[in-house]
Amino acid sequence: MRALVIDDSRAMRRIVSGILKDLGLEPYEAEHGQAALALLEDGLDPALACVDWNMPVMDGLTFVTSVRARPQWRSMTLMMVTTESEQSQIVRALAAGAHEYLIKPFTPDAMRAKLEILGLVRTETHA
Amino acid sequence: MSPIAVGEREIFEIAREVFDAMIPGGGALEEWHGDLPVQHEPLTAWVAFHGPFSGRAVLSSERGTVDDLASALLGLGPDAVVGDEDRLDAFGEIANMVGGNLKSLLPFPGTLGLPEVAAEPPADGVLLEKLRLSWGGRPIVITLWSTDSAAAALSEGSTLQ
Repeated sequence: MRALVIDDSRAMRRIVSGILKDLGLEPYEAEHGQAALALLEDGLDPALACVDWNMPVMDGLTFVTSVRARPQWRSMTLMMVTTESEQSQIVRALAAGAHEYLIKPFTPDAMRAKLEILGLVRTETHA
Repeated sequence: MSPIAVGEREIFEIAREVFDAMIPGGGALEEWHGDLPVQHEPLTAWVAFHGPFSGRAVLSSERGTVDDLASALLGLGPDAVVGDEDRLDAFGEIANMVGGNLKSLLPFPGTLGLPEVAAEPPADGVLLEKLRLSWGGRPIVITLWSTDSAAAALSEGSTLQ
């Protein structure tokens, strides 16, 4: 299952991609929303996009709105991964079409829990 | 007057949360006791707040500590050499996480700028808060600044309300 990690920080792209890889996903990376749209236009079909909010060129909210305007990308799950932690921002992102919202800082377990909710990784069972 | 206050305690709690979650190893973030040593090759990372409240959150440390922070953030080994791009990017992202979460506590909604890193912070502004912290015995300083006259008026006292 492919995932697209969109963040202008290469450190954060590496961290998120590493977590996704450990969870069995195949991560691709883009440094801003426009670069991510270009990958999608070129045929990349990720099941999940992890989207930072504040980025140069095209921010994450614009990316989410752009994806939701294209019916052929309707099946893509969009999760904001951002430091924007005000309730009003969370509401804006969800209203624009994001499915989930993960606030930085986060732990690998917190990301896994979000992906479990989204049905993208299997729920961990504890003995 | 907004019931939300941003003071040393709030800044410290946010910084500690960032370090606990994202920067394993190197020890917990604690208050620095005593005078700060002279910083060799200082580096500063900051994010700006724009809107009714204008200001910035600033992290300062020395290059060797920033390299260790970057290495820990990226999960590199203790002997890994941190390149210029990783050093600047990682330190900027740490400032982004601290500043972004501080923004949610500020009394007015606004937007967050992209992180910037330089040897010296911008010279303008009024200092609202200054935290001297220890990360495994190495000093890290976090400051909160206002850059407009209205917010500067709020700097009286120890908290911004």
